[in-house]
Amino acid sequence: MALPDMQSPSALQLGGPGDGAGTEDVEVALESLSQWQLAWRRFKLHRLAAVGLCIFGFMVLMAIFGPILDPYDPIFIPNAHVPGGDPPSLAHLFGTDDVGRDVFAMVVNGARISVTIGVFSMLIAGIVGVLVGAVAGYVGGLVDNVLMRIVDVFFAIPFLFVILVASRFFGQGQLIPLILIFGLLSWPLISRLVRAMFLSLREADFVEAARAVGVSDFRITFRHILPSALGPVIVAMTLIMASNIVLEAFVSFLGFGLTEDQTSWGNALSNAQTVLSQGNWWWAFFPGMAIALTVLAINFIGDGLRDALDPRSRL
Amino acid sequence: MSEPGVPPPEDVLLEVRGLRTEFRVLDGIVPAVDGVDFSLRRGETLGLVGESGSGKSVTSLSIMRLIERPGAIVGGEIWFEGRDLLKLSEGDMEDIRGNEITMIFQEPMTSLNPVFTVGEQIAESVRLHRHASKKDAWDRAIEMLKLVGIPSPERRVKQYPHEMSGGMRQRVVIAMALACDPKLIIADEPTTALDVTIQAQILELMKRIQAESGAAMLLITHDLAVVAETVQRIAVMYAGKIVESGAVEETLLHPQHPYTEGLLTSIPSRVARGQRLNVIKGTVPNPFRLPKGCKFEPRCPYSFEPCKDNDPPLESIGNDRKVRCWLHGLPEHALPVTVAAGTTPGGAS
Amino acid sequence: MTKFIIRRVIQALPVIWLITVVSFLLMQQAPGGPQAVFNQNPHITPEQVDAWLQRWCLVRNADILQTIQEYLGWLGVYNCTGGGFLSSQGLPNFLPAFLGGGTNGVIHGDFGFSISSGQPVLSLIAQRLPATAILMGTAWILWVVIATLAGVLAAVKRYSLIDQVITILSYVFYSLPTFWLGLILIFIFGVELRLFPAQGIINVRTSPAPFGTDAYWHALFANPWPQLVDIGQHLVLPVTTLIAVSVAGDSRFVRSAMLESLSQDYVRTARAKGLPGRTVIFRHAFRNALLPIVTNIALEIAFLFGGAIATETVFSYPGMGLLFYDGVNERDYFLLMGILLIASLFIVFMNLVADVLYVMVDPRIKYD
Repeated sequence: MALPDMQSPSALQLGGPGDGAGTEDVEVALESLSQWQLAWRRFKLHRLAAVGLCIFGFMVLMAIFGPILDPYDPIFIPNAHVPGGDPPSLAHLFGTDDVGRDVFAMVVNGARISVTIGVFSMLIAGIVGVLVGAVAGYVGGLVDNVLMRIVDVFFAIPFLFVILVASRFFGQGQLIPLILIFGLLSWPLISRLVRAMFLSLREADFVEAARAVGVSDFRITFRHILPSALGPVIVAMTLIMASNIVLEAFVSFLGFGLTEDQTSWGNALSNAQTVLSQGNWWWAFFPGMAIALTVLAINFIGDGLRDALDPRSRL
Repeated sequence: MSEPGVPPPEDVLLEVRGLRTEFRVLDGIVPAVDGVDFSLRRGETLGLVGESGSGKSVTSLSIMRLIERPGAIVGGEIWFEGRDLLKLSEGDMEDIRGNEITMIFQEPMTSLNPVFTVGEQIAESVRLHRHASKKDAWDRAIEMLKLVGIPSPERRVKQYPHEMSGGMRQRVVIAMALACDPKLIIADEPTTALDVTIQAQILELMKRIQAESGAAMLLITHDLAVVAETVQRIAVMYAGKIVESGAVEETLLHPQHPYTEGLLTSIPSRVARGQRLNVIKGTVPNPFRLPKGCKFEPRCPYSFEPCKDNDPPLESIGNDRKVRCWLHGLPEHALPVTVAAGTTPGGAS
Repeated sequence: MTKFIIRRVIQALPVIWLITVVSFLLMQQAPGGPQAVFNQNPHITPEQVDAWLQRWCLVRNADILQTIQEYLGWLGVYNCTGGGFLSSQGLPNFLPAFLGGGTNGVIHGDFGFSISSGQPVLSLIAQRLPATAILMGTAWILWVVIATLAGVLAAVKRYSLIDQVITILSYVFYSLPTFWLGLILIFIFGVELRLFPAQGIINVRTSPAPFGTDAYWHALFANPWPQLVDIGQHLVLPVTTLIAVSVAGDSRFVRSAMLESLSQDYVRTARAKGLPGRTVIFRHAFRNALLPIVTNIALEIAFLFGGAIATETVFSYPGMGLLFYDGVNERDYFLLMGILLIASLFIVFMNLVADVLYVMVDPRIKYD
């Protein structure tokens, strides 16, 4: 992580805040903060990331407390309803569907399953991806070669095809198998990242320096290389979470995901295709907006993290 | 220096007056160049010297009008060949860039475009400014490579930058700068990125070519040794301002500004063996918190009352020399006792 | 160059082999297995079942050895009708048929049959290929053009109003689920405004013949305009749906590649030469930004396949995506394996193209 050339005018304009005198001192002042403190400082300054964090936080709160506070049971069917459902009204903010279920309740309850799938599949992908990437980068040789060919296969087979097949054949309409499927199919991106970091960092000056003073390879891996690779990995994990939330919705929309009695955003959309042709837009609109807003929020957070964790970017 | 708006005399090729270039960043405005004045006669070589961040590179880019956002030239005049460059349209400026004024950059590894052959890159400006045919421009490129001492230029001209060494590439950059017979060459740290042995060769080449072509040269460097060998006049920059200027020999032998003196005494070879190396205390001031008075005051060993509150003007002290220091601008009785007793920086060396 | 390509093809072979293993295992491990589907299909006679089971080494409750035989039979290395690794002519089964090899398995072009319709997989795919090629081809071209234009414009006019508008739009579109965008477009433009058709690839009422049949192609060549206009109208909404997310993502990618390139020293050198702004941007900066863009364009074709499923199912567009969806619904194993394999081979091929293109646009990379 070389410091930028201080001769260039760009160095001047990038000179940041701090009490030191002159740009070079600012550098010194910044370096003395830890990498994570710095990243947090940059993240806080990222306006979009703050917006994203608020939205996502709201979704998580909704996932946890929403079902408790909501007056309607998403699968409770009130007696009075019109065919095709009611349009949005004060009693039913997002309207009702053809059997009288409250769409607002479906969105609130759907947050629970969609966010759960997003978060846990992301964690599985992160753990498996880092492990595989670290093993491939650390051991090298034949192991590396085999693991990376497997990763290549994942990149060559259209992801959505496999997700569809796996969800239909192995998902059993249940949450935990689906989380496992989404998690275990989305790690290759991360392991490729981690391995690439290993290859480039193995020759980096600070690793050479650590090796020169006799630090063991194992310690170099876990104390020096992995922390440096963490930035891109975290960003990639946010992408995976966003994409898995959308994929779950799509899989459930097609009827290959969760069974009807479990409310996810995708299930809320499952009848949308027929309903829309009758003009009952609110069925499809609100659950879809919930997905889009969540994904937007995660993308904002991901962007903020990318800028914050990139050691080259400074404010 | 002439009145504002009036072109300088005929023999002055370039005259920069009160140039101000600022960078607007998140935390405020950085006045990277803060009222710079200097002039360059035809065929003359001027060395612009200063530490990193003193504003010398920004000065050179301002002359070319290559300052990009968030930077902007906010004031001053740049007279070149009887025209104020800051008043020209972008189109007229494009006719001057690479044609009458050319530039040699610091980093030969990155200043050439990796996807074009060096021949294409040299021929490009010839075709643009001389309206030469493809063939003539190509021949000119070969001729220029020969001129800058690249062996077997007919073969080299078809190579890509990555196939050449750093010194070779810097020769290509010089060839590019010379291809259109410029009147002024601005060289921004042309040897800094090179090995020491290559540095000497490139400097020698630049001296020869400057002499042969008769172009004026503005050499920007932080290296006083380079300046001493190459230029006729010198201007020392500190915190966006010129603090001292004059003929190179005079100035280096008898520096009148404490900063120039400090720079000179911090060169190891000038200090006798066993003697402590003199280092200027402190660092370049924070651009957001510049001192109110003289910008060098916090680091100056001779600082006294007037320096704290008032920035001294750049005063002519005769013999074509100028200095920005209260030691030379105040009446005798206002000077502190030590200075009045004859320990001015000039006298000390 | 030829050597480079050959080397890359050889490197791709293990990946292709692994793809066949993954495709096979995914289906083979599925609960139920092919036999279960046979039993549920009333159109298939027991004799047909027996013949098929034998030809593809399919046995009930296969053990590991039988599973491997099944795989090798599907691959075409193993001769299931007796003879083992030798063909009926006594030569190695993997050889092409005209050299005395077998005729079964994917390496001999036999992808099996669709369990639900009984038709050969390859002819089913061939029927659906034109529709998908039209959809994906149109989408791909528009996607590349729009994303590149928007990205370059945003980078050149950095921080301006237009950059901010492009940035906001790309954030929004990048977050929209493809299938949901399709649903909303159908509702707005198909149902409410009735501007564009929302189903299928042709208007079945006015078309001379069903799409993809010989009669249809004859009608198309005899009088192209009405049919082309018809297809064009049907493509508007699916193509918009298919490319919205990719364009949004890639315009950000092009923008950052372009900004990276614009910040390089050689761009300053080009400006110092006195080149006009347009020349600097397109000849010097864009030429370098092209390196990552070209690779990205070729690689993201894989992404289009996924989008094609979402789009085709929502728009009932008769392409390979819809075929695959139906296949998943019907648990049509041979069909699914066939589509997976062919799509993957196409992606591997596009990766190869990306590598070759990369070498061609970047003189710094040697391909020996």
